This record gives sequence, structure tokens and C-alpha cells, in this order.
Amino acid sequence: MKVLLDLRWFFSERKKQYSIGITALMIVALLQLAPPKIIGYIVDAVAKDELTAEMLMRWMIILVVTGVLMYVLRYIWRVMIFGSSVYLARVMRERLFTHFTRMSPSFYQRRRVGDLMAHATNDINAVQQTAGSGILTLFDSISTGGFVILMMAFSISWKLTLIALVPIPVMIFLTSYYGRLLRNRFRVAQEAFSDLNDKAQESISGIKVLKTFGQQKEDVESFTKRSEQVVKENMRVAKVDALFDPTIAGVFAISYILSFYFGTRFILSGELSIGDLVAFTSYLGLLTWPMLAIGFLFNIVERGNASYSRIQDLLSVEPGIQDRPNAVSQLPHGDIVFDIDTFKFPDDKRASLRNLHFTIKQGETLGVIGKTGAGKTAILKLLMREFEGYTGTITYGGIPITRYKKECLRQAIGYVPQDHFLFSTTLGENIAFTNPKIDPAKIVAAAKSAHIHEDILTFEKGYETLVGERGVSLSGGQRQRVSIARALLMDPELLLLDDSLSAVDARTEEAILRSLKEERTGKTTIITSHRLSAIQHAHQIIVLDEGEVVEIGDHDSLMAQNGMYKEMYDLQQLESIVEQGGGADE
Amino acid sequence: MNNKQKMSARDQFKTFMRLAKYVLPMKKSALIAILLLLLTVTSTILGPLVIQRFLDDYVVPLNFPAKEVWTIALIYIGLQLVNIIGSYFQTLRFQEFALAIIQQIRIDAFSKVQKLGLRYFDQTPAGGIVSRVTNDTESIKEMFVSVAVTFMQAIFGIVGVYIALFTLDGKLALYTLILLPLFLILVSVYRYYSADFYQDIRERLSQLNAKISESLSGMDMIQAFRQEKRLSDEFIEVNEGHYRVGLRNIRFDSLMLGPFIDLLYAGSIVAVLSYFGTASFTSVVDVGIIYAFTTLLRRLFQPINQVMQRLSMFQQAIVSASRVFALIDNPEIEPKQTAVSTQHITEGTIEFRNVTFSYDGKQDVLKNISFTANAGETVALVGHTGSGKSSIINLFMRFYEYERGDIFIDGVSLKEYPIEELRKKVGLVLQDPFMFYGDIASNIRLHNEELTDEDVREAAEFVQADQFIEELPNGYEQKVTERGSTLSSGQRQLIAFARTIAMNPKVLVLDEATANIDTETEVAIQKSLEKMREGRTTIAIAHRLSTIADAELILVLHHGEIVERGTHAELLAQKGLYYTMYELQNGTQE
Repeated sequence: MKVLLDLRWFFSERKKQYSIGITALMIVALLQLAPPKIIGYIVDAVAKDELTAEMLMRWMIILVVTGVLMYVLRYIWRVMIFGSSVYLARVMRERLFTHFTRMSPSFYQRRRVGDLMAHATNDINAVQQTAGSGILTLFDSISTGGFVILMMAFSISWKLTLIALVPIPVMIFLTSYYGRLLRNRFRVAQEAFSDLNDKAQESISGIKVLKTFGQQKEDVESFTKRSEQVVKENMRVAKVDALFDPTIAGVFAISYILSFYFGTRFILSGELSIGDLVAFTSYLGLLTWPMLAIGFLFNIVERGNASYSRIQDLLSVEPGIQDRPNAVSQLPHGDIVFDIDTFKFPDDKRASLRNLHFTIKQGETLGVIGKTGAGKTAILKLLMREFEGYTGTITYGGIPITRYKKECLRQAIGYVPQDHFLFSTTLGENIAFTNPKIDPAKIVAAAKSAHIHEDILTFEKGYETLVGERGVSLSGGQRQRVSIARALLMDPELLLLDDSLSAVDARTEEAILRSLKEERTGKTTIITSHRLSAIQHAHQIIVLDEGEVVEIGDHDSLMAQNGMYKEMYDLQQLESIVEQGGGADE
Repeated sequence: MNNKQKMSARDQFKTFMRLAKYVLPMKKSALIAILLLLLTVTSTILGPLVIQRFLDDYVVPLNFPAKEVWTIALIYIGLQLVNIIGSYFQTLRFQEFALAIIQQIRIDAFSKVQKLGLRYFDQTPAGGIVSRVTNDTESIKEMFVSVAVTFMQAIFGIVGVYIALFTLDGKLALYTLILLPLFLILVSVYRYYSADFYQDIRERLSQLNAKISESLSGMDMIQAFRQEKRLSDEFIEVNEGHYRVGLRNIRFDSLMLGPFIDLLYAGSIVAVLSYFGTASFTSVVDVGIIYAFTTLLRRLFQPINQVMQRLSMFQQAIVSASRVFALIDNPEIEPKQTAVSTQHITEGTIEFRNVTFSYDGKQDVLKNISFTANAGETVALVGHTGSGKSSIINLFMRFYEYERGDIFIDGVSLKEYPIEELRKKVGLVLQDPFMFYGDIASNIRLHNEELTDEDVREAAEFVQADQFIEELPNGYEQKVTERGSTLSSGQRQLIAFARTIAMNPKVLVLDEATANIDTETEVAIQKSLEKMREGRTTIAIAHRLSTIADAELILVLHHGEIVERGTHAELLAQKGLYYTMYELQNGTQE
């Protein structure tokens, strides 16, 4: 029940809706007691042959009025209570989403998108259920159950009521026990299902390998095995799930038998009329739902509890890196100086960067080369302040980057990541990501600089072409170029290309580098790459190995050093020639 | 409102009938389930009748002959037992039976996916295919578990209640028949509107979830470009829309479902009481009948409410089923083998004869390609992206069907070999080595159970993957996670080599990797490749001149045509493109 306390803020925000809803609910609970009583009266009157036309008329009018009233009130409470619960889901979802946008990269490194999605969908659903069905069942079972029992006890016979209720606790106990059992089994079944899902996903992504090795039949077998597992686990769920109805039916059958046995005895002893007994059994019918509901209630609330605290845990995660007090709110400009002794990613044992000391002059291009894992990306992540916690400083225009407002720092930086992520919207909107309302001519200009314009025009809808699940699938090279155009559009003070030319062919790479050079005069650019062709024309090149700068200089001086750079260059030269030669024949 | 996915009533019916066909092989268990259902429905209807008899015959006259009272009590208890036991097994049976059907549909869909041609996979996002196989089939399950049961229960229940009503009081029962068309109207009005409403909310929900999931995946971009505010605003808008539609659905359901059914019930009670009340003025009325009528009427209304609540599930199941069936019917299947040859591939001589090919039927991506690779020789394909290198491999691997020209291995057309023979003797190494969930050994072995641990080890040694594998904490049993993300791309490549070598193919097809491999791993990979090529006919897409200088035949491709061909020396002598390349290479290397 803790979740109901935790949700106080919400209930007080929606005080009006809940008060109206609960009041309506209570009135309905009261009103629904009338019809059985009236039926009882009429049965009695008929049995005693005392029924008059006037009496019948009066009761019928009362019945019609209560019926209509109940309809209206039922409508009201549903809209009020369920409506509020949907509203709660909306509020929670919005909070969670805004919170997600504030979380640092290390947060996303530690958590999988799938899990976060589960919080945003399943957990919110469970909380919504609590605020809707939970509240409903709570009040409904208390009021309906309470009123019905009171009615049975006071207007008919409290003795008979007690007797009829004897088996009910057994039912409540059993159903909530089933609920617990069910939840565990259900979880296992869900796991089996997601296993099946993963299997299908993997087979479809790896279809080429499966076809190549002629293992389609074997793969279908392995899928079948998993699918059998799903059936098995679902059957375990069904075995418990199927217990609910029979249990309730059984318990109520016992109640009925008890009522009739003792009821007739009371009739014989003159304590009860026949009409009373008929009404009594009608009331007993009305009890089915509230008793059942109590079992449900426990489950709903228990789930809501767990889900709500999971959501709260998420919401209480502090956003990673925040602005210092009196942070500088000017746009950075000038030289960038790296003075880093060591840097370690959170959760990593080994330092990713060590003894990094170099300066990038305003307007120059820095090339960073090194193997995968040498620390190229780490340099860029630090510059963007996605991570802090290094010893040493990075200054931009003489001010440590930690002293800038993050907003201002990021405003100066255009970033092209390694894994070019595109949003499922149009190509044009992907490029105009920073400013959807920008002049379309500028989008085209950026696309041209990134050499993706021609490619875009080959699509039927041009810049309006949708990307992603429902749209075209672009090649790796095309995605990289869209991503470059996206960064170029903002004409940033500092452009970071994180191995962003790996999937484009040599000629395109050269063309992009050329247009970068033309357009970015006076502005600073950092290019990381494992391919030398992307950086060999940079003003300054650093060669990274295991987080340390092993060589530094421009292309000519590095070649002259005859070290690691030269070695890489020789090896890679062959490749680029083949690539260029193969296509340079027109 | 979005109507593009709305199915016509006829299509819905067709899909429904096709689903029903899946029941046929399980006739027997379906029949048992239905019989059990019938039994429980009957017992629930008989219950009140027994009580009515008890009231009329014994309570009203206040006369309780022990034997008769016991009999009636035992009948009641018996009925309840039948109901309890019957309903348990009936639910279980329906589950069992529904799960069996879903499994069959799932396997059908998955087997079909395996038979589809690569064209389909190149055009359809993987996520979509996965949801056809798993999620859509899951919502079909509801059709058999809750929808079918509810509908049948409703029908049996209504029929049973009417039988009971007619035996109690024919005239009144006749009047209550009016309720039937009323129910029908109610259900169809509800169905008409709710179909749209539920479709709408489902679409909005999936939009909402897509928005969250995409924003989560692209969060670093959103933050790097400071678009948090804009994306939040966009999300709030979608969220708001979803909320509004949700509210509308609640209002609509509240108007039409439970409360309304209750109102109708109240109305019918009024009618029944008035009827009996009026009748009692002139004749004697059994009070038991009044009791039975009022109880039975409630039994009549309950199923209608449930049916209406299940309608949206029904709709969803039909839509899902139609999507799954569309996949099962997809004509985009993989190339068929005519399989007339029983010859085995022993030499590995490859010949392309006048092969012309187009993906879309308009633009030829390969034009009149002819070349021969003798047994054990290497043919290298050189050319830029889009020159047709990959298309040659796509045809040679039978990923795509070709119509013009032919390809031969050992003088027999590719189309004539049984596919098993081709798959066994032709090994392809992909540019992007795909890793499966499992361990290193299972990734080398794949599903081939004939390979012993020793074979796996030897294969790894052969491609020199053994060093790094043995350095892993668990060696060959080291877990490989999704997509092999814990391994470097070079290591993945080596495992893919071992996988191919373990099959010991006669013909090797290499789609050489370029991107994302650092230089040192590259050297190791080149060494392994050289070793693999020994004694095997090889078609290689090459990016490195050093690896192809010893090739027996080098083809320079441009726009789908072979523009130069020959050995390294011959091409140099031609003083053409290859010569220029070589010159360039020499020039820069010094």
C-alpha cells in the first residue's frame, strides 16, 4: 500500500476528480443494493398474494430511476478515475523523458535502451493501473462489499450473513496466493518469449551467414526448440491462471449451500421470510466482484509498488555533469590546450589517456591517428564534456572548459560521431537537426559540402525522403555523410569528426576534406581516423598508442621520423591506390 | 484518422477463415475443449434452475422431505463440481490448443523467412520481420485464448439461458427474444466505432514508444547538438495526443460497455417484474420462477459485456494475422535449384559465361561478365563501390537469381547442383563478420554438429585465431554476447575465417574488409587469408594490391563491366589502368 502514499502528490493534484469519482462510486455501491431488495419485496408480496398495481408501479418507477442514476454515476466515476490514471501515466512519462534528456553518457553506458524502455512502458503501465483499477477496486470492494454485507446483516439476518461469509477468507487467501505464483511464472514465460525474440532477431540479421553455411534447416530447428520452451512456460502460467475462476465458483457454491441450508432453517423457525432468502442470495451474488477484487487489489498494488520505486530510482539519478556556480556564458573561441596527465572512463580499470599535452591553434586542423582503442574518441568526449574526472586541464581560449556553461561549449561544437545515428524522419530534417526551421537553401549547401546532395537527389522524394524503419535504408557511407552535413549546417566554431569518413570511398573522402578546408578557414577542426588519408593534410597530427602520444608533427615531419606513422602510411598506401585507381578511369 | 491499415470486412473474414484452418489438424483437442466449455456453461445455467426448484417445491410450501431435499442438494453440489473441474480443464485445454496453433504459425513464418531471398532482407528492416514472427503471432494467441472462448461462452450461454427461459415461461421468454437484435445492434455499433478508436490508440502508442526508444538511442546526438528541449517538446506533444485519445476511449467505453449493459439489465428486470407482478393479479405465480428469471437474465447480459470488451482484441488479432500471412505468402523466395546433377564439386573450376544482371529489371549492374578460374586459382575483383563486385558474389552465392548468362562450377551450372552441395563446397567470408550469441566454439561450429572440438581447434589454429582465443579467460568456451561486441573487429574476422575453414570448402569467396580494422590486425588477417587460399579456387574482392599481385587473374570492374583483365604482369604490360595504379604505388612508396 506504500505506493498509494507515495502517490499522495498526484491524488492531491487530482483531488477534485478523485473525490467526484469516489463519491459516485460509493453512491453506485449503495444504489445497487436497491434492486435485490425490491425483487425480494415483490417476491414476498406475490407469495402472500398482496401485490397491488399501485405498489408495483411505485417500485418499478424506483427501479427505473435507480437504473438511470446508476448509469450516469458509473459513467462519471469511470471517466474521473480512469481518466486520472491515464493522466498520471502521461505526467510520469513526460517526467521520465525530460529526465532522460538530462542523463550523462555514462548513464547510457551502464543501462540498455531495452531496459529503459521497459521502465517507460511496463512500469508506467503498472503505476497507471494502481491509480486507476487499484483505487477503483480499493474503494469499490470496500464500499460495495461493506454495504452489501451491512445490508445482508441488518436488513435480513446477521446470523445468516456470518454463516455465508465463512468461506470467503479462504478465497481471498487462495487468489492472492495464485497471484504471487502467477507473477513468477509469468516472468519466466516473458523471458522465454524475449529469448525467442532475440533468436529471431539474430537469425534475421545473420541470414547471410546462415544461407552461406546452408544451415537454414538447423536454424529452424533451434527456433522450434525455443518456441517449444515458450509453449512450456506459458502452460505453466496457464495452470495457475486457470485456477482463479473455479476457485471463486467453488467458494461461492459453498456460500450458497450454507445460505440455503441455514436460510431454510431460519424460515422454518420464523426468523426469515422467503423473500428475505431470495434477496439474500441476490446479495451474495453481488459480493462475488468485491471479494474477487480484493485478491486483484493486492496484486495490482504490489506491482505498482515495485514499478513506482523503480521509476523513482531512475528519476533520482543525478544528471552527470552540471554547470559550475558562476560558469562563463561566453562562446569559446581561440586556442585549445590539452594538459592531461591521466583520464579513466568510469568503470574502466586502465587509464584511457595519459600524458596528453598539445595545443591546437585557432583555425587549424588537428589529425588524431591510432588503432581502435588508442583513445581517439576519448579526446573528443572530454572536449565535449561528456566525461570529466581527468587530472590536468583542457583550456579553450584560455579558459578551462569546465568553467564554461555546458550550453555555450556545446553550441560551439559540431560533432560527427563514429556510429552515425539518424532519426526516423526526413533526410532534410536529419540535416537540419539543430534548426528545423532553417532556410532550405542552407540544408542543400550543407549537403553539398558533405557530398551527399547528389545521393539525396537520386531518391524520389529528395530531401523529403524518410529514413529508418519506415523509410529508405542508407548505406554506411551515406549515413556518415548525412551526419557530416548535420554538423556542417551549424557552421560550428569547432568541428569534431570521429572517424567519420571510414565508410566513404577514397575519392569522396578527398572531396569532403577539400570542401572542409575551403569552408572552415579560421575555424578549428579535429579529425580522428584510423585511416591516414583523412588526416594527412592536417596542420598537426598526433599519433596515439594506448592512450599516449607517441608521435606529433605534420605529415612531412612524421614521415621523416620514420616511426609508427611512416609504418602505417606505407601499409595503407596500397589500399588507397587500389581504391582510387579502380574508379579513376573516366 | 489513419485508415490505411483498415481491412475490408471481406479480407477480415478471409483471414479469419485461414486462421480457423490451423485448427483442423487439432480437431480432436479442439473438440474436447469445446465439449468441456459446453459442460461448464450448462452447469452454470442449471445451477439457478435447481435453486428455483428447491424454492418452489420445498421452501414455499415449507415442506422438507429429507430424501428429496438431499437429492436436490446433491444435484446442486454435483453441478458445481462439474463446473469447477470442467472450467479448470477447459481453460487449460484452450491454452494448450492455442499455444500449439501459435507455435505452428510461428514455425511456418520463421521457416518462410529462412526461405526468402536476400532481396527481401535487403529491402525490409529486420525489426519489422522479427515482429511478424514473434509479436504479431503473440496477438493472434489472444484470438484463441480469450476471444474464441468468450465468444463461444457467450453463444452457448445465450442459447442455454434461452432454453431455460423457455422451459420456465414460454410467453415471457418469447418477449425476451427482443433482446437479441438489440444486442446485435449494440455490438455492431460498438464494433464500428471502437475499431477506429482502438486502431488510433494503438498507433499513437507505438508512435510514443518509437519516440522514446529512438530518443534513447540517439541521446548523445541530441545532447551534443543541444536539442533536448526541442525533442522534449515533440515528445510532450505526442504524449498529449496519446492522452487525449486515451480519454476519448475511456468515455466511449464507459458510455457503451459495462454501465450501459447494466442499464439494459435494469430495464429488463423492470419488465420481468412488471410482467409477473401484473400476472399475479389474476393468477398464481411461482416465486421460484421470478428468482430464476432475474438470475438468468443477468447471465444473459454478462457475456454480451465480455464479448464487447474482447472486440478490440479480435480486431487486433485479425490485423496481426493478416500481416503474418502476408509474410508467409511473400513471393520473394530464394533462387531455386533445379538439382538435376548428382555430381560433386571436386575440382572447383569456376566459369562465368556472359552474365548480365539487374536488381530492379531496369538498370543492369553486371554487363556480360565472362571469366574462368581454374582449380586452385585466385580471381581478384578490383573496382570502386558500385562497380559490380558485390553483385558478382551475390549471384555466385545464389543470393539472387540470374536469368541471363550462366555460371558453372566444374562445368555444371550453379542452378543444377543441390543447394547442400553448393553450401558445403563454397565458403564465403563476409566483410562484416556476424557473431551469434553463444561461445567462441559454437560460433566456429555454427549448427554443424559433425565438427568435433578438435576440428574447431584445428580450424582456429589454421587461421591463427588460436593465440587470441587461448588468451581469453575461458578459451573456446568464452561467451560471445550479442553481435560479438566484446571482441574486436579483427578478432571477429578471424573467427569468421575459422568458421569457413572448418567446413573445408573447395571454393572460397572473400569479401574483404576495409573499414574499422587497424593496421596490425590487418597484417595477421592477410597472413591467414593467404594460407586459406592455398589449394582453393578463390574469388576475392580486393582492396589491397599486395594481396592480389599473385592472383592468376585480376578483373578491373567499372560500372558493371570488366574493363581490364589479366595477371599482374599482363596488366602491367597493357599499360592501362592497372599500370597507372602500379606506377602510382611505386611512385609514392619511395
